[in-house]
Amino acid sequence: MSRPVIDVSGVSKAFRLPHERRTTLKEHVLHPFHRTTYEVQQALDDVSFTVQEGEFFGIIGPNGSGKSTLLKILAGIYRQDSGTVRVDGRLSPFIELGVGFNPELTARDNVRINGTLLGLGKAELEDRFDAIFEFAGLERFIDQKLKNFSSGMHVRLAYSIAIQVEFDVLLLDEVLAVGDAEFQEKCFATFLGFRDQRKTIVLVTHGVETLTELADCVLLLRAGRVEALGDAPEVVARYQGQLVV
Amino acid sequence: MIAGSEFKLKYAGSVFGYAWSVAKPLALFTVLYLVFARIFKLGAISDYYAVSLLLGIVLFGLFSDATSLGMTSLVARESLLRKLVFPRLVIPMAATITAGLTFLVNLMVVAGFVAWEQVTPRLDWLLVIPLLVELYSFTLGLALILATLFVRFRDMGQVWELGLQLLFYASPIIYPIGFLPPFARDLVFLNPFTQVLQDIRALVLYPDLPGNTITAGEAFETFGRLIPIGIAAATLVIGLLLFKREEPWFAERV
Repeated sequence: MSRPVIDVSGVSKAFRLPHERRTTLKEHVLHPFHRTTYEVQQALDDVSFTVQEGEFFGIIGPNGSGKSTLLKILAGIYRQDSGTVRVDGRLSPFIELGVGFNPELTARDNVRINGTLLGLGKAELEDRFDAIFEFAGLERFIDQKLKNFSSGMHVRLAYSIAIQVEFDVLLLDEVLAVGDAEFQEKCFATFLGFRDQRKTIVLVTHGVETLTELADCVLLLRAGRVEALGDAPEVVARYQGQLVV
Repeated sequence: MIAGSEFKLKYAGSVFGYAWSVAKPLALFTVLYLVFARIFKLGAISDYYAVSLLLGIVLFGLFSDATSLGMTSLVARESLLRKLVFPRLVIPMAATITAGLTFLVNLMVVAGFVAWEQVTPRLDWLLVIPLLVELYSFTLGLALILATLFVRFRDMGQVWELGLQLLFYASPIIYPIGFLPPFARDLVFLNPFTQVLQDIRALVLYPDLPGNTITAGEAFETFGRLIPIGIAAATLVIGLLLFKREEPWFAERV
């Protein structure tokens, strides 16, 4: 039977956005009593949900609805103001692809650095080096500087490194936006492979087709609140219905 | 491991990366040597004025590079902080280690000068290693404090630039510490940097000329070196605690 791997209950997060940002000492010293006025942005408001083991969980919502903030809280990059988050199992350490890529370095060096940042050991990385480039279909460009890569090639390389990382729960923010049809097919195939291995995937996306095709469960966020949670087709329809209205 | 890639990154863009790291202290040394040894005749006070000066410059280079790189490291690696989960300590550590690697390259040049002066190597030179560990700990502690502050107050950059300049002249790099009146000397010895510099000089350059150099051990009779060593250790502990306390908030504040 399935068991919950992610359990989020009553999570809220507010960002204080100072109107006039005081980041220098001088401003603190010269105006010690001049209190900065803050605009409180309630990014997440009492969000609760659970994700079962092996589930493909989608998060959708308009821009600024708190999707990325939620993902960052799941990953432990941000800390919630209230509520609890429990994650059972190894989290993938990244939420975006290609973090730390340096355009001045070759693809080879970037794979080494990015792989290291993602927690791959030296030996592991060497073992999987060819596999990474083969999956990305970029064998010809190993010694090219990354700045000469197209954005599609960028994402292909980044994704190919990312799937080499060992995890139980994969958190991803908007990854399938770029890349050609053939590569998207490959990505779908790996997603299905992860599902067979009972790995859990949480995907933030605007690509509703992807979700209807792959997701078991979808969470619709609006202004930091859970608007809908349930089967992919229903929630996606609701999201699209709102767009029409 | 991550520190290694950071080091690679640092020099990846520039062709003369490593060469610059040696050229900078050497250029400063040349200027200071010409002014103080040739014009003000400070060279006359000791046979080893030149090596002694270069050693001071190179050690101070480590201190100043590591603290200033460490200070800005969190802000510079903002995208990593926001998108990746990993111990945040790695970032300032990597910055200070990068400075440390540059220092090791410079140390070769100092070694060249020492060899040229025909000082006979001795086994007790190995004591230089714990002294460098002490200096590194002190530096890392400061870097952590500065990095944490810099996330909130961006003008720490200006403050520390001035601070480094003052510390350079408040340390016996150009002048021998014996030139200072006793009260000023004791004050200067509170800085672990001064203690380490004087100890290394005494160890490597003046073993047979005890009158030529003064170490913290002689300045503070009862507690001796324990005072600056204690300050160095306390700085590291405070730095680590402060950094750990603020760590969860770096991603959103940076």
